[in-house]
Amino acid sequence: MNPKRRQKNDGGASSSSIGNEESPKRRLSLAKGQQRFGFLMVTPSLVFLLVVFTFPLLALIGMSGFQMQLARPDADSWIGLANYVRMLSDARFWHSIRLTVIYTISTVVLQVAIGMLLAVALSANLAGKLRNLLRIVVLLPMITAPVVVGLVWRTLLLTQRYGLLDFVFIRLGFGTQPWLSDPSLALVSVIVIHTWQWTPFAFLVFLASLASVPEELYEAAMIDRASALQRFRYITVPILRPAIVIVIIIRVMVALRAFAAIFSATGGGPGTATEILNLFAYRTAFTAFNLGYGATLGTTLLVITTVTSFVFFRLRSADQQ
Amino acid sequence: MGVLTARQKVLLARSFMLVVLLAALVVWALPVIWTLATSIKPRGDIFTVPPTLVFRPSIEHYQRALRFLGIVDGIVNSLIIAFFTVLMTLLVAVPAGYGYARTRFRFRKTLSFYTLFTQMAPQIGILIPFFLMINRAGLYDTYPSIILIHMTITVPISIWLMITYFETIPKEMEESAIVDGASRFGAFARIALPQVKGGVAVCSILAFIESWNEFLFVSTLAGRQTRTVQVAIFSFLTTEETMWGPFTATGVMIMAPVIVIALVAQKHIVKGLTFGAVKG
Repeated sequence: MNPKRRQKNDGGASSSSIGNEESPKRRLSLAKGQQRFGFLMVTPSLVFLLVVFTFPLLALIGMSGFQMQLARPDADSWIGLANYVRMLSDARFWHSIRLTVIYTISTVVLQVAIGMLLAVALSANLAGKLRNLLRIVVLLPMITAPVVVGLVWRTLLLTQRYGLLDFVFIRLGFGTQPWLSDPSLALVSVIVIHTWQWTPFAFLVFLASLASVPEELYEAAMIDRASALQRFRYITVPILRPAIVIVIIIRVMVALRAFAAIFSATGGGPGTATEILNLFAYRTAFTAFNLGYGATLGTTLLVITTVTSFVFFRLRSADQQ
Repeated sequence: MGVLTARQKVLLARSFMLVVLLAALVVWALPVIWTLATSIKPRGDIFTVPPTLVFRPSIEHYQRALRFLGIVDGIVNSLIIAFFTVLMTLLVAVPAGYGYARTRFRFRKTLSFYTLFTQMAPQIGILIPFFLMINRAGLYDTYPSIILIHMTITVPISIWLMITYFETIPKEMEESAIVDGASRFGAFARIALPQVKGGVAVCSILAFIESWNEFLFVSTLAGRQTRTVQVAIFSFLTTEETMWGPFTATGVMIMAPVIVIALVAQKHIVKGLTFGAVKG
């Protein structure tokens, strides 16, 4: 029978069996056409990613072996690993690594902790209006341009005396604080800004994850007289666990390449007080226009993010088994 | 504590949670509301202690901001770049998503993993060589170079979004269309594509927001001709006198389109923003 006929007769009623009933020969030709078609469909994206992603990253690694100044293309010279040697003895590099670690860990811990607290609080409160309002309001920080976030905090909130937050601090009796001009306070400020902007992400993910918990589980626990803390420890946390893992992975990757909010709030300063590795690479390449050394720092950041994501995904698949 | 009955305990916990939630509401909404409020305050009411809460709204800062060189141009540039970023992203990512979701070909797994990996790379690592190449190719300060590099943010996630959308629709209709003589591409374009409008909407919204809000790339690749409003807004803050009025007015103009989209397409936005972390 002609395969076309036969399928028509099927009428699509048990359509999932179509593939199985086909003659082997026809399936082969379909599969062959499929190979080519599938490959053609993904080709534009592959070409794009090769040209604008892979090629630049290879070039980045190559550039890290050069002494290179933008203004003088004729003066490029190959210096091998000299940039890396310089980096390893550069106190500013180690300082930026330290800041990157502090910044990443503290923003991620805060986002997860606050996001979880709020998601649990909201799940317990069934006040519909508040819930809907909060779900919209949490979107505001996430969709606001990071550069605007940084600038608004720097001006409207943290300016001494006139900033809203500083004003609240004065009223509470703590006095005015040099939020962005004191080195350690500036680091705290950029951590707070990042946490403010991105906690909603953790919150929304946890909220979605909690929504899948059957009510009966908590009711059963209540009947068994489990305390709130026990319920949190033995029901909520295990249920949220996969969500916590994925939130940590995503947020670490984002924190490692944080840029716009820090740049617009402090510019990496005062001095180098908030200069995480990403900003150090940027300033080296685009403020000092030392592209070779900037590429070295960029390569180092690339290695750090790649290794981190690799370790995370290993841990995650181990966790899932 | 033994003094409290179980009922009182529950009530206490409930009210504590309520306070926490209200605090969160204020903390997240206030900076945005305060930006809006400052942008419509008369000049004299901006720098005051305590902050002025009651004032007669005025649009003077908006007028002033729009007269500023670079702001109108910046908005136009941002729109052009975001528009073409969305368009190009869809053209590249939607077929790719279909290819990965629907067909089996050699290295398919490896290639889709490669696509996922591209999302992880730090943007500065792409920017430094890209900047050098663009400069030496004489393409500095042109739209295509910025659109192309914005696509490095939007294309990988859009492909992954589209894969999940194409995977959720049944393949039978496409299969019978092919049997009836439609080409594979025809089955994709006329049968599968109309069923994933939601996915295309999520990709478009996300790509628009990413491109519109982007700063690192434009701050280095955009010159006088292509400078976006994200970069232009700095002109209010570098001078001696910080111009909070025009600055906040511009800030509101940057936030406005995105907030409007968020209100209209809340579900799509949440889906796009939490994609990869929330199933379904």
